[in-house]
Parts: sequence; C-alpha cells; structure tokens
Amino acid sequence: MNLLLRIVVFVLLFPFVTKAQSTCNLTVHGKVFDAESMQPLPFATILISELTKGVACNGTGEFIIDGLCPGNYTFKCSFVGYKTIVYQQFIKDSTTHNFFIKSETTIINEVIVLGKKEEGLVLASQSQADVKGEDLVQVRGSSLGESLKSITGVYALQSGPSIFKPVIHGLHSNRILIFNNGVRLEGQQWGSEHAPEIDPFIATKLTVVKGASSVRYGSDAIGGVILVEPAALPDVPGVSGELNIMTASNNRMGVTSAIVQGALDKKLSGLCWRVQGTYRRAGNSKTADYYMENTGFAEGNFSTALGYAKKNFGGELYYSEFNARLGIFSGTHAESITDVEAAIRRSRPLTPSYFSYSIGRPYQQVKHDLFKTNVFFVFNNQSRLDAVFARQQNVRSEYDYVPLTGNLNPELYLRLITHTVDLIYKHKAIDKYTGTLGFNGITQGNVRHYQMLIPNFRNYGGGIFYMGKWTNERLTLEAGLRYDYRWLRAYTLDNNTAHIITPTWNFQNVTETIGSYYYINSHFSWTANIGTAWRAPTVNELLSQGVHQSAVAYEIGNPDLHSERAYTFTTSLHYHAKRFQGELGLYNNIIEGYIFLKPDQQFIHTIRGSYPTFTYTQVDARFRGIDLNATYQITDSLDVTAKVSTLYAWNKTIHDYLQLIPANRFETILRYGFGDHGMVKRLYGSAGGIYIAKQNRVPLNSDYTDPPPGYLLLNVTIGFSIPFRKHMMSIRFAANNLLNKAYRDYLDRFRYFTDEPGRNFTLRICIPF
Amino acid sequence: MIQFKKSIAGIVAITVVITSCNKDEKVVAPTISNEGLTTALLQLVNDADVSDKPTAQWEQLLDNNGNPLPVDVSAANLNLKANATYTAGIILLDKTQNPVFVVSDEVKQRSNYHLFFYQSLPTVQPLVIPNNYPVDMNDLYPEPIPTPIPSGDPLNLLVTITDHDNNPQQYPIGLETKFKTGAASTGWLRVVLRHQPNLKDGTFAPGSTDLDVGFNVKIQ
Repeated sequence: MNLLLRIVVFVLLFPFVTKAQSTCNLTVHGKVFDAESMQPLPFATILISELTKGVACNGTGEFIIDGLCPGNYTFKCSFVGYKTIVYQQFIKDSTTHNFFIKSETTIINEVIVLGKKEEGLVLASQSQADVKGEDLVQVRGSSLGESLKSITGVYALQSGPSIFKPVIHGLHSNRILIFNNGVRLEGQQWGSEHAPEIDPFIATKLTVVKGASSVRYGSDAIGGVILVEPAALPDVPGVSGELNIMTASNNRMGVTSAIVQGALDKKLSGLCWRVQGTYRRAGNSKTADYYMENTGFAEGNFSTALGYAKKNFGGELYYSEFNARLGIFSGTHAESITDVEAAIRRSRPLTPSYFSYSIGRPYQQVKHDLFKTNVFFVFNNQSRLDAVFARQQNVRSEYDYVPLTGNLNPELYLRLITHTVDLIYKHKAIDKYTGTLGFNGITQGNVRHYQMLIPNFRNYGGGIFYMGKWTNERLTLEAGLRYDYRWLRAYTLDNNTAHIITPTWNFQNVTETIGSYYYINSHFSWTANIGTAWRAPTVNELLSQGVHQSAVAYEIGNPDLHSERAYTFTTSLHYHAKRFQGELGLYNNIIEGYIFLKPDQQFIHTIRGSYPTFTYTQVDARFRGIDLNATYQITDSLDVTAKVSTLYAWNKTIHDYLQLIPANRFETILRYGFGDHGMVKRLYGSAGGIYIAKQNRVPLNSDYTDPPPGYLLLNVTIGFSIPFRKHMMSIRFAANNLLNKAYRDYLDRFRYFTDEPGRNFTLRICIPF
Repeated sequence: MIQFKKSIAGIVAITVVITSCNKDEKVVAPTISNEGLTTALLQLVNDADVSDKPTAQWEQLLDNNGNPLPVDVSAANLNLKANATYTAGIILLDKTQNPVFVVSDEVKQRSNYHLFFYQSLPTVQPLVIPNNYPVDMNDLYPEPIPTPIPSGDPLNLLVTITDHDNNPQQYPIGLETKFKTGAASTGWLRVVLRHQPNLKDGTFAPGSTDLDVGFNVKIQ
C-alpha cells in the first residue's frame, strides 16, 4: 500500500527566554533519520517538554536547539507517520544527538512537492489508487487497460483478447484522460475499439485518480485521470537500468523491455539520460476450447529522455514512439443483424481453430509518437514555474478484407497532430497556504483519407485555473476554479455538391473543485471532494453519418450537442491497524447532457442489407458506486485481501439503465509468505478468485441478446527474488483462469462471437542492474 | 521578476512558432469507400425465344461522403413468361468510380470466397436465405420486398446455379443461373451475395453479406 509521506511544514517558533546567567548557552544538535532506510527526515520536530519549546529540522533533517541551561530534559522527536520517540538526558555540555525513528505504516495520501518532477498536482482530497511495486511487477507485459484491473472501481472495455480500454467508474474513451509522461494522450480515443497507444513500461507507477478532475486537467476528465509516470531521471552519477522479460502460454506471447539510464558527473554534472524500449509479439489467443483466428499482435516501442537540472532551473527533452499491428478476430466479420444473431446462437465460431503468429486482414495499424520538452525555474522567493511543450502525432489505419475492387489501401486512415503547452506557476507559500496558477493550451489538426467516418478538423482550446491548498498537521483543505474555451471547425464535403463546408462550434465552461483530507487519528483518515468537470462533444458525436464498421449500426451525429457537465461527489475512509487495513470509497457522479447513441427504432437500407439507425442524443445520467478494498493479516505469514467494486448507472431522462456498464465484481486473494530459503528470498504464493456477476441492470431492447452469465476465475501466483550481482532479480510464475473456464464478459464487444481466453501460464522476470 | 517575465515571453514565442505551421486539414480528400457496390443488374434470355430478354436493376448510389442515397427500385421489375426457362446472369457495378467498375468480374476472380443465394418469395419451401422476422424485429427484407411477406400463392420460380468455383469441392458461385418459371404468379426475388474468406462450404452460414437486394417478379 501507500507508504509515501506527507511532508508537514510545522515550525514552532517560540521566543527564546534567555537567562542572565552565561551558562545558559548550551546547544543540542543532530539529525533525524528514518530507522529503516537511514534517510534523513526533513522538517521532523523535536519538542522539549520541560520548556514547551520545539524546533523543526531543516530540509536535510538537521536541528539545533540552543540557549539551553544545564538540566534534565525530555526530548520528543516526532514526524507524521512515525512513532514518536522520547529521549531523556541531563544536559551539562553542548552535545550532539541523532534520532532514529520508525514509521507506523499509516496510510496517508501524498503530495510530492520537492524533487525534479512535479507530479501532476493530484489533489489530496480525491479518491486515487496506484499500481506500483509488487502490483506492477505482477502485470508487467500487459497492455495499460489490462494492467489497471486490480484497482477497485476500474474495469476494462474490450474488443477481443488484445484491445483493452480502461474504464473508471463506468466511464471511458473521451470521459477519462490518460497522461503519457505528463502530456495528455490524444488519439482517436472516441472509438470503442481503439486502445490507448501507450507503453506501460515507461512508468514505475500507474496512478488512477477517480472522479471529476477538470479543474487541473481541462476537458474530458469526467470519470477520472490515469497518470503513466516514469520515475524522475537519476541524479546519482552512474548507469543503472532494468530488463523485463515476460512470456505467456495462451497466445505464446513474448515480451522484452529494457531501460537504461544514467547521470553524468564532474564537468557534465546535472546531465541525465534514459533510453527505453519494448517489444511484444503474440499469436492467436485460445479460449477454453478453440483458437480465435487472426488475434495475434506485434508491438514495438521506444523512448528516450535527456535532462539537465540545477538547483534553480532545469529541463528535459523526451521522445517516444509506439507502434502496433493488431489482428481483429476474423469470426467477428458480421455485417448484418442476421449474421450477429446467427453468431449468438452458435456455441462456437465457424472460423477454423489453429495457432499462428500471422496477422492478416482485418487488422489495425497504429503509430503514436510524442516529442516533449519541459523546463522549470525556481525563483528567489521560492516560487516555481514549470512549462511543458509537446507535439504528438497519432496515425491510425484500419485494414479490412481486400475489397472486390482489389484495392490494397486501408479502409480508414486518420492522422491527428496535437500541440500542447502547459504553464504551471506555484507561488510562494504563505504560512500553511500554497497556491498554483496554471494555463493549458491545445491545438489539434485531423486529416482523413479513404472512408469518411470522421471529417478533417482543427480545434483550439485554452484553459486557465487556480488551485489553493491549506495544510496543517491533520487537515488539508483544497479548492480550485477553472475557465475553459474550445473552438472546433470541421472541413468536409457537402453531401451533394462538391463544395467544402466548414461547420464550426465553440464551447465554454467553468469548473470548480473543493475538498478536504482529514487525518482523524493513527487509525482513520477521511477524504471528501466535490468537483465539476466538462467534456466537449467529439467530432464523431457531432457529425457521424454512416455505418460504423463492426458495430452493425448506422450512426447519425447531432450538430446541436452541447458540452457534457458532470458533478462528482467522492468520499473515502481509510482505516489502518496492525492487522487490518481497509479503504472504503463512495461516489456519485451526475452527468448533465450525457451523450450516447440512442436507438431510433428505424432502419436505413443499404446494398448490404438494412441497419438500425442510432442518433447521438443527450440525457441526464447518474453513476453511483462503492469501492472497497481490505486486507487482514491472519498470521505473520498469511494475509487475505478482499476487493469489491459495484456501480449503478441510470439514465434519468428516460428512466432506464445505461448500456455497457460494468457488473459487480468481487475478488478474494490469499497470500502466504514462505520467507527466505537460501538463495531464494521472499518466496510467496497467492491464490485468488475473481467473480464477475451477471449484469442485470441493462436497458430494455438495446442489445442483440442478454448479458452473459456471471463467472468465477481462479488465479494463482508464485513469486520470489534471487540476488543477482548487487541487485535482486524477481521472478513470478502465474496461472490465470487456472481451471480453463469458458466464459464471456459483458464489456467485451466480441461477446456475441466468441468466449474469452482460457487458461494462461505466465512467467515474468525482472532484472535490475 | 525580470527573470520571470523573460521566461514567460520566451515560452509564448516558442509556442507561437510551433503551432503556426501545418494547415493540412483544410484539404479534404475524396471519399473512397472500398465497399463500393451500387448496382445489381439481372439479365435473362429465354432459351426458347432469344427476343425475350427481361432485365431488372436494383441501384443505390452514394453521396460525396459515401453515405447511401435512397434506393432506386424503379427498374427492379422482372416480367417473365410462364412455363419458360431462362439463362440468366447477374452483373454488379460500382458507379462511384469513373469509369464504372465491374464488380462481378472481381467476384468471378475470387469465386472461391463468394456465393450467391436466390430466394423466391412467397414460398412454401424452407428458406434458402434465413429470415427471423418477427422473432427478430430487425431482420427486414431489402426493398422492394415487403416485411413481412404477405400471405398468398407461392411464386412459381425456381432458380438454379449453373457455374462453380475452383475449390476442390467445386462449390457453386451464382453469377450464372437458370430461371425456370411455372404457372402465372406474382411475388419477389431476393438475391444475396455472401463473402466467405477461407470459409466456403456451400451453405449460407459462414462469412458475411456483401449484397442483399430484391426484385418484383411477375410471371404471366
């Protein structure tokens, strides 16, 4: 769990009472250290009971108490999250004393203020969770959407076994933001079969912020934000890195990822660098009984960073590339309702079952590159300015079966180029109050070729925000305000004449947030946040006109759509004791103007058959749920974890449920630590069951068939570490769906055609160097 | 403070430079929809009387953005003599291309992946082309065929496929057919082309539909 510290600036300055006697000039000085890591603890406090006087350590953990008269004194050294220790001593001479204090493993939310990287200004009062450390090691090699499923309240929308889109509290695509190393990831994320083009291997931590986050991030942050953050570039001279290897039995996948980084010293001191690359290759996936033809994929990514940092300024250059070719299961080749319903009635697809690495048509080919530069300045008054510029290009081509024309072009080609600029100014702290002023600018240009699914467009957006935070020992209060403006112009051919028409829209929104974090005692802490968020309608919602490939639907856009506005209330209670820790989160998200595709109960006839039509419509929706995560330490070696995610979504306008909402999810994991045995260190085994219920809360008459039944999967992991040179190499064996159960999932768009993958054995090796 | 203003000015200048390029989105590429198939033309010749050459055409053109315009079934009328046998062929065209592209030639080249089905309606025989209306309210017949099929005397038209592909099993294709008429009757003919890559087994089920059109038929 979360062991990061809240840094509390607690300065007690009591007027020194100087006695006339010249002997009252004794000094006690020293340093305060974390007893386990031996790191100094900045701003720890030393209180002298007898004098009701105290001092705080400076930024390197050093303290000085002077003007002491000889006598008996009780020194209490304390720091939030650590057990206070008491030191009694008769002081007759100036002396040195160091304190070594141990952390209580109290769960408290963190704010990272010091250091090279300003981590996204995540509000302390928001509900958030991380995948890092051991949790991240267990999912290395998976795509981003798959990697986040261990977090309560987070789900995945799938298109078969290789395409996963993260879902936070029932919201996905353009209602959540994904941050790729501090830059919002902009691709064709409106598409339900377009997975995020990001390599989780660039990150040492994946953070999910649940709930309205528009004040800091702008449009689209209605459901929440996913931060894929690399660690800060190294500042200790030398070269280090990590090699990750992963293999999986089900689709015979191999993954290799390596990262090498270093910092220079002497004349080039302050310069640091990093190079990273990943290659993933998989063949056809196997369900419990048969292979799915053409479900292989190939992915190759790399990134490189160069940084320079001094005390008062620094900067970084970063470039990354993501390339993927994803096969689309040939058994989903249904272009009419008759075909979909025939597929539903079959127990297995008609496509042949065999293993192969070959990826043929139909497939997606995506390339995403990002160039980013950021600089920071720290001014004399301790205020700080960060500026980030980025350019990203997303090129997506979708290839269907070679048509009768013999043309080898893709069906669809879209190229989106996005430029962003972010300026964040954190002004000087005023006692316990800090504030940040920021500006985010964005412009995008989209070009299409071949099929007309979404048109060419250009947009400009600007947002300006202010966030303030007041902190004392126990309580943090936050508030923020933001104004956004967005301009959008589409360039498209008029249906009948050959003229280019340019429909144009603009959107303006003000969003707010207010929240609190309260450290009740060493067992309980509580957070609450009320925030608003907004989202501009996307170009496909405004201007769609045509058959949506692979959705058997004729979609009709609505140019009169206005922005969606969301009001989110979230609250979490954290409990921590020696043997039990838990977190309970509740949320209520009211979305006005929620845009969705409403069936028109009408048909359009095309030469391929008739398609039902759907029009983009705005309604009022409610998303409510409970996330629960608890761990109980049964014995020193054995613990059990339970996770519950429940979500209830309601279309208030028509008094019915919403479609494609995740069902209730329950997970239980037992973990047993076997300890160290010779070379094998920290050996453990865990077994878990995950149960997804049948989704009974679905709207009437809006799907080809009922949602699939609930299912239970059994997963088992064995892990250990082995010393390797000066580091620990970690090894994990896992079996997912150990009992090879055949099942279908409601959030998989391919559920009409095929089962989910069956048993999968995986091996993950992580070698740091 | 001066340092701060300088840094802001520098940042704004760089931003303007970076974003002032590139207006590619103003050039709109034409729509090329690979699925292009606009016209199905049935051409029949009476085996006994070469001057009896009924034809019928089903057409649906596309607009500049590839969206379907209203279906044109004004010429989708097949008038056949009773108790006759016709040799028939179907021609498929893509009129969005210039010159007009003859799609049926391509079907012939890729006959191993394609199979036509012809359904006379009304009928008392089991359906060759499945239809689940009204159990499935979405399963509609193509124009001009009404859904549901009104009750009435069956259409006395038997269509048999005479060509075959290059598969070892020599599956039929359906570009060339024989139309055999019985006593005078009226009804409709539904024609479906199935695309069955690596899946062709002579039945309707595998693959997906590339063409689904209808014709009025009058036998007299």
